Amino acid sequence: MTFWANHRNTLIAIAAVLIAAPFVASRPVWLDSAVILGVYALLALSVGISYGQAGILTMSQGAFASVGAYAAALCSARWGWPPFTDLVLAMLLPAVLAYGVGRVVTRLSPLATALATLALGSVISIYIRHADDLTGGYVGFAGIPAIGFIDTPLEYAVLAWLLVIAVVYGYENLMRSAHGRALNVLQQDQARARADGIDVARSMSAAFALSAAIAGIAGWLYAHYVSVLSPESLDTNISVTALLMAVVGGAGYVLGPIIGTVLFDTLTRLLPAAELQGLFYGLALVVILLVARTGLMGLGEQLIGAARSGLGRRAAPAAGLPARAAS
Amino acid sequence: MTGPAFDTPVPPAAADALVASGIEVAFGGIKALAGVGATVVPGRIVGLIGRNGSGKSTLFNCMTGFVRPGAGRVTLGGADITGLPAERVVRAGIARTFQTPRIAEGADVRTAVLCGFFNSAKTSFMGSVAGFGAARREERRLREEADAVLEGLGLADLRHTEVRRLSMGLVRMVDVARCIASGARFILLDEPAAGLTQAEQETLSRQIRDVAARGVGILLVEHNFALVRSLCETVVVLETGRVLCEGAPETVARDPRVLRSYLGAVGESDEQGEAAA
Amino acid sequence: MTFSEFILRGVLAGSIYVLLAVPMSLLFSTVRTIDFAVGAYALVAAAVAASVGGVLGIAAGLGAAVAGSAAMALIFLLLKRFGCHNHIIYALASFGVATALASAVLWQYGTQSFVRDSFSQFWSLAGIRISPQGVLNLVTALVAVTILYVVIQRSQLGRMMRAAAVNVMGSELAGIPVELIQVGTYLVGGLLGGIAGLLILFTAGLDYSAPLSLTLSGFAAAIVFGIDNPFRALFGGLAMGVAEALAAGYTSGMVTSMVPFLFLLIVLGTSRFGDATVAGDRT
Repeated sequence: MTFWANHRNTLIAIAAVLIAAPFVASRPVWLDSAVILGVYALLALSVGISYGQAGILTMSQGAFASVGAYAAALCSARWGWPPFTDLVLAMLLPAVLAYGVGRVVTRLSPLATALATLALGSVISIYIRHADDLTGGYVGFAGIPAIGFIDTPLEYAVLAWLLVIAVVYGYENLMRSAHGRALNVLQQDQARARADGIDVARSMSAAFALSAAIAGIAGWLYAHYVSVLSPESLDTNISVTALLMAVVGGAGYVLGPIIGTVLFDTLTRLLPAAELQGLFYGLALVVILLVARTGLMGLGEQLIGAARSGLGRRAAPAAGLPARAAS
Repeated sequence: MTGPAFDTPVPPAAADALVASGIEVAFGGIKALAGVGATVVPGRIVGLIGRNGSGKSTLFNCMTGFVRPGAGRVTLGGADITGLPAERVVRAGIARTFQTPRIAEGADVRTAVLCGFFNSAKTSFMGSVAGFGAARREERRLREEADAVLEGLGLADLRHTEVRRLSMGLVRMVDVARCIASGARFILLDEPAAGLTQAEQETLSRQIRDVAARGVGILLVEHNFALVRSLCETVVVLETGRVLCEGAPETVARDPRVLRSYLGAVGESDEQGEAAA
Repeated sequence: MTFSEFILRGVLAGSIYVLLAVPMSLLFSTVRTIDFAVGAYALVAAAVAASVGGVLGIAAGLGAAVAGSAAMALIFLLLKRFGCHNHIIYALASFGVATALASAVLWQYGTQSFVRDSFSQFWSLAGIRISPQGVLNLVTALVAVTILYVVIQRSQLGRMMRAAAVNVMGSELAGIPVELIQVGTYLVGGLLGGIAGLLILFTAGLDYSAPLSLTLSGFAAAIVFGIDNPFRALFGGLAMGVAEALAAGYTSGMVTSMVPFLFLLIVLGTSRFGDATVAGDRT
């Protein structure tokens, strides 16, 4: 009972995955999409934590993912680390990077912080392009082994969505803790946060580091699944896409980024040309900012709220609603 | 007597007092404070009054770490806390409220109070994410403590009410509850009576007195002299960045300088906005 | 190559950054936000000009760039109408416009690089070979900044712009059409971004993936000497061009490509830019 109350989003995610699983497993093409979709969902979740909770409009998630991906590639293919041990480095490296940069830039205005993340992402991607010895430079990195026994698309799809569920679970834990509440407070009012004894720069940097670590997981998974990496694999475009997915779905809600990911993916398949993807993404962002700034989840919450009060029911506590992370 | 609730004499500069002395602050060449001070002792209520622009909010902000004084010292139990950032001052045991309460309106009362427990939470950031047993036990403990704080202030029934549904007086009490949650030994109240009805003011002063009775030192920045008079045993009067006089409310109220400077301007008492805010 | 040659080349190359930096500075002064689409206006102008060709192409390119910025200005107005006064949301929306414009170019023209040669001859100045196009770029940037200087410092419009930049509410009370000025600033951004795009078309060329780093370069140049003054953007842009040329001469290609971003990170890390008082609060 308490698990249901505290981890509603996790349970919803598990239920959705279980419902989708039989359909996806029946078509090999869909299994492949399911893995990539899982990578995007992880990236969008990482944006949710960074932008939705800590207020850092991040444009470097693709770069963090590529750090994780190259870490995975080097550890497993070149240095022969056992399976899964490279995940530690793939998370730690982006997290340390993000924390260090965060301590410097989070004292700036949100706009300046956003620019700094974009610049950081660009610096990382230029480095990857030029560090021939380490990353293979423009040519890229091939022959990244599978993760131990995990080999088929089905197994990767299962792993990908287990990771998504694990991240949602951790995200919910965070938001139900003093640190999560601190993020909520400082995002709304930094003076209030300081009066609560919150070290604003430290809390924000910690959230940014967590979000970078999650992006690192996405990169790790991507590298092992696709087995080749190039500087274009996880570039700024991916950062932008993840950001748009999270905002359109509802960056402030735990499940918002996943909803955005699934929606973008579905609609992309309906587009006449792949090149139009950016046009569609950009327009979707503008429309959602104009119509519902809290994203689709926020819109849904409003509609449900309106329907309830319209039916004249008593104002129920947040129970039945898709829980706002703050609850 | 409607005056101070305490009849024991003030211990001279108690060892664990919050003391500001010789504070100077200048904003762009204009001296907001020119060597002022105030002492708050555990269990006592000190009033800080003065007209708009007299520098009382600036002194308040210096004592809570929101403004860094140009000169002077703030000490807590003898330890120098001058110029510490606000979040460290809170950790040292000094909490503040805001004149316009800064509490998320959508959250319920218990969540608002829970936010005050940030300092006493031991679990690390990553520990919270992992959500192991210790983190869950701590969360349960914080919820119980928050309920206890609300109970202590007679707000237990409101714990699931959204903050936006509360009256201004209750919101101010929630703010006080949040200060208590932070484990503060000193609570600095920034014009708590502003915008309250007479009845609300009376409830609030009763609750403030209860809090003080539990050993918390309180500094009250106020316009409303009647409230100060009913609560405080010491009053510091500021004018244009200096201490005009200091003493028991009755003495202060009779002081001709105070009458001229401040009490003559009581009509302005509901004006908002401080030069230093 | 000699040191002075790097400096000269840097100044010539920096003139394009000047054209990208000035709109950043103008917009930040009047709206306190960033138009991430400035680089995309440049791309649109270059792509359209390259495909149409000739003088007509140049006009069409500039028209397309301004049209792009008009779309952004409209979105800005709509956001304001819908009660959004959050500067980061305006920036986020411009991000959407940038993505959409770049994608439209990709869809129409593919992944080709847009580059045209204007001059086949090179000039020689004290033994240094310089391209006439580079000189034209510098002259264009100087003319653009001079016109802006005259408008802002000497005209009635300029006075209103300055007033609106300093105090929005006061200006509105004084009857200054603040919103119109803000929209105008977005359009000037489109025009200057478009001009920059045309100059890049005839210099180094660009492709559909360029916009974001162009925007970022422009912003980096704009904040080096203080974002609140568009004339400082002139020196910021030139300084960045010189830094890039020196990096190309004395360090690796990696550092050279990082220059604009390192510039930005260093300035952000060391300045007080973006202090709550400067750039609005975090709400």
